Amino acid sequence: MGLLVGCSSSNEQTQDVTNLTIYSGRSEEFIAPFLVEWETQSGIKLNIRYGDSAELTAQILEEGSNSPADLFLSQDAGSLGAISEAGLFISLPSDVAQSIPAQFVSVNRNWIGVTGRARVFAYAPDRVKTLPQSVADLTKPLYKNQIGIAPTNASFQAFVTALIQNKGEKFAKSWLQGLTANGVKIYQKNSAIVEAIDKGEISIGLVNHYYLWEVSKGLGRSINVKNGFFTPGDIGNLINVSGAGVLASSKKQGAAQDLINYLTSAPAQQKFVTDTHEYSLIDGANAPAELPRLDQIGAPSIDLGKLKSIKRTQDLLIEVGLL
Amino acid sequence: MNTRMQRALKLSLNSAVGMVAALSMIPLVYLFVRASDKPMGEIVQLLVRQKTLDVLTTTILMVVCVVAITLFFGVAIASGLHFVHLPLRRLLIIPTVLPLAIPSYVFTYTWIALVPSFSGFAAAVFILSLTTLPYIILVTLAGLRSVDGSQIEVARSLGLNYRQTFFRVVFPQIRGHASAGALLAGLYAMSDFGAVSLLNVETLTVSIQNMYRASYDRSAAAVISFVLIAFAVLFVIAEESIKTKSPDGQIVKTFSTKHALIRKRPLQVTVMFAVITFGVVAVVIPFYVLLTRFFSNPVGIDWRSLLTATISTITVAAIGAIIALVLSAPLGVLLSGKVTSFGRIAERTIVVGAALPGVVVGLALVSIGSKLGALYQTTLLLAFAYALLFLAKSVASMTSSLARVPNGVKEVAATFGMNQWSVVRKVIAPIAAPGIGLGTILVFLTAMKELPATLMLRPTGFETLATQIWSSTSINRFNEAAPFALILVLVAAIPSFYISRPDKADRAFI
Repeated sequence: MGLLVGCSSSNEQTQDVTNLTIYSGRSEEFIAPFLVEWETQSGIKLNIRYGDSAELTAQILEEGSNSPADLFLSQDAGSLGAISEAGLFISLPSDVAQSIPAQFVSVNRNWIGVTGRARVFAYAPDRVKTLPQSVADLTKPLYKNQIGIAPTNASFQAFVTALIQNKGEKFAKSWLQGLTANGVKIYQKNSAIVEAIDKGEISIGLVNHYYLWEVSKGLGRSINVKNGFFTPGDIGNLINVSGAGVLASSKKQGAAQDLINYLTSAPAQQKFVTDTHEYSLIDGANAPAELPRLDQIGAPSIDLGKLKSIKRTQDLLIEVGLL
Repeated sequence: MNTRMQRALKLSLNSAVGMVAALSMIPLVYLFVRASDKPMGEIVQLLVRQKTLDVLTTTILMVVCVVAITLFFGVAIASGLHFVHLPLRRLLIIPTVLPLAIPSYVFTYTWIALVPSFSGFAAAVFILSLTTLPYIILVTLAGLRSVDGSQIEVARSLGLNYRQTFFRVVFPQIRGHASAGALLAGLYAMSDFGAVSLLNVETLTVSIQNMYRASYDRSAAAVISFVLIAFAVLFVIAEESIKTKSPDGQIVKTFSTKHALIRKRPLQVTVMFAVITFGVVAVVIPFYVLLTRFFSNPVGIDWRSLLTATISTITVAAIGAIIALVLSAPLGVLLSGKVTSFGRIAERTIVVGAALPGVVVGLALVSIGSKLGALYQTTLLLAFAYALLFLAKSVASMTSSLARVPNGVKEVAATFGMNQWSVVRKVIAPIAAPGIGLGTILVFLTAMKELPATLMLRPTGFETLATQIWSSTSINRFNEAAPFALILVLVAAIPSFYISRPDKADRAFI
């Protein structure tokens, strides 16, 4: 452990590093500006490999100790958990990403949360007169054939995992079956749900908060969709994170840690809020426009580190026929 | 040539084929290793659960529908283009080939943008039929060009009408080609992920991808991959039983490929209508949607990255196509001689591999490639991945073209003292060349739009047109994807035009 801490005061190690390889499950559009800025600051050239978080995870698992990657940036905690479970991440020294509260860091410090993503219900304000107070309301006849979910999506699965942890498997199962019985519509992606609400195909969808901006920007116009939160403390208000981990096979762990420090620094965190409409994880930070602050959402208290065990979630989703 | 040399030649040919077959088995071996991580009980449970059976049923139904639809329309359109006198006949082939250049997920996005409720089984069959129709049209056209025109003249002079002539004289000669096209279409439908997943149809490929995506469960994905492989094996066997019904030993193309073009007004109108409808549905509409998305929210075009991506795409796809050609050549030569069961097994192994989704082949090569040090994530390994992924296209075109060479001709040539190599070069190659060229270009066209394996195996930072389209569409920026999609189709149009030039194809026979 002492050795690892030694690594992190990484000045002499970072000096002879000229380039760093990043596998990024976060899309180029949103993360590249940050990485470019760090490149100029550090003088270290970044080789960035963009891909889908889950596919990059499968790739890292296949590569094992031969992975060319130094740092993995993921869209979700689940991917980071899978790599952590395979023992391919280092345990990050305590002076890395000090600004990030412990609830957004894995217990063994294998990975660090970088930005927050709130689970919300996106809805069409003109069609939904009675807003749901809890996820349990979504199985009521009031919302029949009106709801959209993306069961293959990592963020939805993280939510179901939290639901199982919070309310038990029996409840989660009957809730999922209730949704199916209520004519829930299945989509492949969160953005497809938001578009479907805008088009009038459905009225409510379980998504992450920032898809409103993403879809609207892509269409080049405003859309008829709003973000809604459930009653404080409801499991539907889960906060998930995008995050980062340093590969154990990397020979440039110091430089990779420096990059994590940059991404979790106050200026970079503020830039995430304004540019990508994600939540900063730093205590008391501003929220993205028109949204409550992170500590005002009333997020359920869930150990994100435990969300990696999605095997049971998977089996459950398969059992009820959603996967 | 003495018998010892001949035996040495045969041995080296067989070992070359063995090596290619072994290479094509990399994904299978990988899947086997991954699947064996799972305890037998779990494997059985996974295989017999209701869900697996449902998904298998969906997959089978979808493949059957796509093959039936594309076979009917593909053979009809190809025959129309070949036999009917039409204005701008050569140019008319282009819109029927161009859909090959449009990735199925882009295709689907554009249709969803146009028809919001576009979803489900019928929609998936529709999209996959549009995407695969060009395979059947192209392969059938290649077959039609080697149909003996004088036989048609004879049939007509004996009083057969057009329909009778087609079914009695023409169709038996192109059946092998059409079924090769159907094979490619069916395997494509099995392995497609982009279209079916967007349309909420769960096929085996979608299940496999979901297992990686949602549970990082590589073993479960491997087990389901074997279900897909089993189906592909049955499909290939079914196709072979159709193909082998083709008459063998006819002397083809000894007289003329010239035939009088049909000038009947109703036929001309029907063919024109079919081609135009297909062109509108499969080319004009996707373009229209892409362009309107682009102009409704225009962005500055990054010419530099557009140019770089174009050059990268062409280069790596071309290298891949050449590798596929080289890899399929020994098998072609082997199967053009006396067909051995070894050659058949090698052929089937390669063809069955085409049913595997790109992500599986990609991960198999990641698993092996990452142990190769400097070779990992190079353009060469990526090109090799393309060759492996699309080898079946090149092999299918090669063997169906070689099947057109009558055994009689080979035997006659051999009695004149030509050795096997000279027979290949002077007799077989000229007859089979157009089909082989077609196979190579098909590999090139498909490789240009490949995505999952490209994302995993490309050199870090290396962008192709497909990866650029993906990075924009994955965050719903169709407007930004449009220029890359347009260039992809334009680049693909050139080889499409080249292979569809009738005069070129005819000359290759002389």
